[in-house]
Amino acid sequence: MAVLVDITKCIGCEGCTVACKRYNNLNFKAKPRNVKEDGNVELDDNRWTVIQEFHGEKNDKLRFVKKQCLHCKEPACASACFSKAIQKDEKTGAVVYYPDLCVGCRYCLVACPYSIPKYQWNEQFPQVSKCQMCSERVSKGDAPACVSACTTGALTSGDRDELLKKAHEIIRSDSRYINQVYGEHEVGGAEWLYISDVPFEDLGFKEVTNVPVTSYTKSYLSKVPGLAACWALFLSGIAFYNYRVDKNRNQIQDPHDNDDQDKEG
Amino acid sequence: MSNKMSRRKFLKVVAGSGVLGFGVMASGCKGKPSGGDGWVSSQYEGKGDFPVNLKGRVAISATNPSIERDDEKCILCGQCVDACKNVMGVYGNYPLPLKQEIACVGCGQCVMQCPSGAITEKSHVRKVLDAIDDDTKHVVVQTAPATKVSLGEEFGMPQGTSVGKKMAGALKAAGFDSVFDTCFAADLTIMEEASEFVHRLTKKKDEIPHLTSCCPGWVKYCEYFYPELMHNLSTCKSPQNMMGATIKSFYAEKMGIDPSNIVNVSIMPCTAKKFEVAREELEVDGQQDMDYVLTTRELAVLLKHKGIDLNTVAEAEYDSVLGESTGAGRIFGATGGVTEAAVRTAYYLATGSNPPADLLDWKPIRGMQSVKEATASIPGVGAVNIAVCHGLENVRQLLDGIKAAGSSKWQFIEFMACPGGCIGGGGQPKSMDAVEAKKKRIEAIYKEDTGAEKRCSHDNAEIQSIYRDFFGKPLSEKAEKYLHTTFVNRHGRLFD
Repeated sequence: MAVLVDITKCIGCEGCTVACKRYNNLNFKAKPRNVKEDGNVELDDNRWTVIQEFHGEKNDKLRFVKKQCLHCKEPACASACFSKAIQKDEKTGAVVYYPDLCVGCRYCLVACPYSIPKYQWNEQFPQVSKCQMCSERVSKGDAPACVSACTTGALTSGDRDELLKKAHEIIRSDSRYINQVYGEHEVGGAEWLYISDVPFEDLGFKEVTNVPVTSYTKSYLSKVPGLAACWALFLSGIAFYNYRVDKNRNQIQDPHDNDDQDKEG
Repeated sequence: MSNKMSRRKFLKVVAGSGVLGFGVMASGCKGKPSGGDGWVSSQYEGKGDFPVNLKGRVAISATNPSIERDDEKCILCGQCVDACKNVMGVYGNYPLPLKQEIACVGCGQCVMQCPSGAITEKSHVRKVLDAIDDDTKHVVVQTAPATKVSLGEEFGMPQGTSVGKKMAGALKAAGFDSVFDTCFAADLTIMEEASEFVHRLTKKKDEIPHLTSCCPGWVKYCEYFYPELMHNLSTCKSPQNMMGATIKSFYAEKMGIDPSNIVNVSIMPCTAKKFEVAREELEVDGQQDMDYVLTTRELAVLLKHKGIDLNTVAEAEYDSVLGESTGAGRIFGATGGVTEAAVRTAYYLATGSNPPADLLDWKPIRGMQSVKEATASIPGVGAVNIAVCHGLENVRQLLDGIKAAGSSKWQFIEFMACPGGCIGGGGQPKSMDAVEAKKKRIEAIYKEDTGAEKRCSHDNAEIQSIYRDFFGKPLSEKAEKYLHTTFVNRHGRLFD
C-alpha cells in the first residue's frame, strides 16, 4: 500500500490529522512539543501527522504539506533496531512499531533520515511513536484513516507502482508541476509519494541521498549474526575444553593422595 | 538457605531473561503494533476511501477573525462542507492549488450545522466583560433587529418571541453605559442608500443594477468572486458600522466623551461582522467604528455569566438620540427587508409623499423563496425591477445568469449571505427545527413593522434631527466621510 500526496490539492483543513488522532487514540489536549521558528508544529508523540503551512518568503503561494512517516522501502529505523521492535511489513509496506519488543534505546530516533520517530517523554513506561500507516486497516485492504478523511483528493492510496505511474502522468500533463516525485528514490524510495508545483526544498522537504541509508552498514552488519554465532561457538568450545581438562585432572588424581597430602599438611 | 539474591543468581536471572527475550523475538512473536485503538466516524470505517456525499471538513485558518474550531470535538461528519459548498457556494468554487488564502466569507453557516459544537464563533465575551469592568471606558452597545426575535430562544422562550425591550433591560443590567438600537442605524442606512439608488437611477446609470452592501458575508463574496460588480455595490456602510461611526463622532461630541475611551459593542446575528469590523477601509481618521461584535449566542452566554434571566428581567427603552426606530429599520433582519425599506423611502424621495399601502405590505419580496422578484412603480422614476436573493449559492446562480445574459433585468438587487437573511445568520441560536425557527422569526419581525407607529425611515424623528444637527443631508460630504466606504478586490487571492 502506498499513498500519493498531491500538494496542490491540499486546502489545509487538517481533517487527516484529526482522523489520525481519533483512530490512534492520541491526546488532543497535548501541547505541541516542537514548534518551529516559522510557527509550524512538528511531529511529536501525540501528533503522528501534521499539516505545515508554507507561505511567503520564497513563494507567494499558500501551500500545505502533510508530514508523517514516509514508510521507506529500506527503513533505517528498522535496521538500527536490534530488538526488531520496528519491522517492515512486506505485505503492506508499512514500517510498523511493536511496543512489546522495544527496549527503549531510541536508536530509531537517531537513525531516521527524516527525524520522524518521536518518544513519549512524559510516560512512565514510554514508547516510541510514529505513523503506523494504520497497519490494521491497511492489512484488511482499507485506506489509512487520513486518506479516507481527505475531501479534496490530495491523498490517494493504492499500489505503489500504479501511483508512481499516475504521479508521472500528472507531472507530464500539467506543466505547473515540478518534475520530481519525492519519495520515488529518496533514501531508496518510500511508500509515501509527493508531487508539488513548488520546489520541495521550499516546502520543508529535506534533501536526502538516493542511496538507502541501510546500505552503508549492510556490508558489515550483515556479518554480525554469523560472527556472533562463531564467537559464541568459539567461547563454548573453550569453556567445554576447560571443563574437560578440569574433570580429567580430578579423575587422574588418586583420592588417597589427597588424604595423604591433607595429613602431611 | 538465604533469601538474599546472590550476585551469581542475579546474573543468571538477567542472562535468562535476555535469552528468553531473544528467543521470543527470534521466534517471530511481536505482539500488537501500537495505534489503532481509537475510532473513526462511520463513513470512514471499512473501505474508507469509497466516495460518499458527506466527508471531511472545511479549512479554517488560525487567523480567521470570525470562526474557530476545537479539533477535539470534530468528528469529521462533513456537515460543514455541506453548508459551505451547497448553501453558501464557497467551498469548491475556487480553483486548486490555492493562491493566497483559505476562502472564507465568515458567514458562520458551518457553525449552525456543526452537530458537535466543534466550530464556534471567535468569542469576544471575555473582552467585553473586561471593558464593562473598566471604569475609564464608556461601553456602548447596539442590538441588531434579527437578534431581538431570536435571543429569547436561548432562554427557553418559544421561537419568534420578540424580546427587544427585555434585551435593552438586560443589557443595562449587565452594565453597558448606553444601549442603542441598530434599527436606528438601519433607518440611517436607508436614508443614504435610497438617496444613492435614486441618484444612480437618474444620473449614474452605469452603476445600475444597484446591489445592497449591508451583508458583510455577501460583500466579501462579491470581492472574492465578482470583483467586476464591486462598483455596483452600494457604498453605504452596514447599519452596524454607520452606528459605530456615529457614536464615535456625533454622540461623542454631544456627550463630551473622548472617542478613544468609547468601546463600541454590537449584538449581531452574524459571525461575518467580526471580520467586517476589522476592515481598514471602514476606519475614520484611523479609528475603527466598532470594537467588539457579540453574536446572539455570545450575548446569551454573557447574560448567563452575569446571572441575568431574560424571562424575569425588567423591560427598558432604548436610549435616546440613537434609539428611535421605524418599521422600515426593523425589517432589515429578514430577507427582502432592506429592499422593502429602501423602496419606501425611495418612493418618498422621488415623489415627496409616503408610499401607498401595497408597498408597505409588499408580499412578493417576503418569505423564504430563494429568488424573489417584484416591480415597484414610482411616479417620476417609472417601473423599478427588483430582485431579492438569499443564500450565497443562490446568489452565485443568479449572478452567473446575469453574466451569461450580459445585462441585468433588475435595477435593484438585495443579497443576503445567509438563508432567510440575518434571522438565519451564523450567530443565531441553534434550533430544534431550523426551517420553522426562521419562519417564526420572520413573522415576528414583520409583526414589529406593522405594529410600529412610523413605517418609513425618513419619518424617524431622531434621523431627521441627526441630519439637521450633524450630517446635513444624505450623501453630503460629512455623510460620505462617516457613512460610506470602499471595497477591496480579493479576486487575486483565490484566482490566477
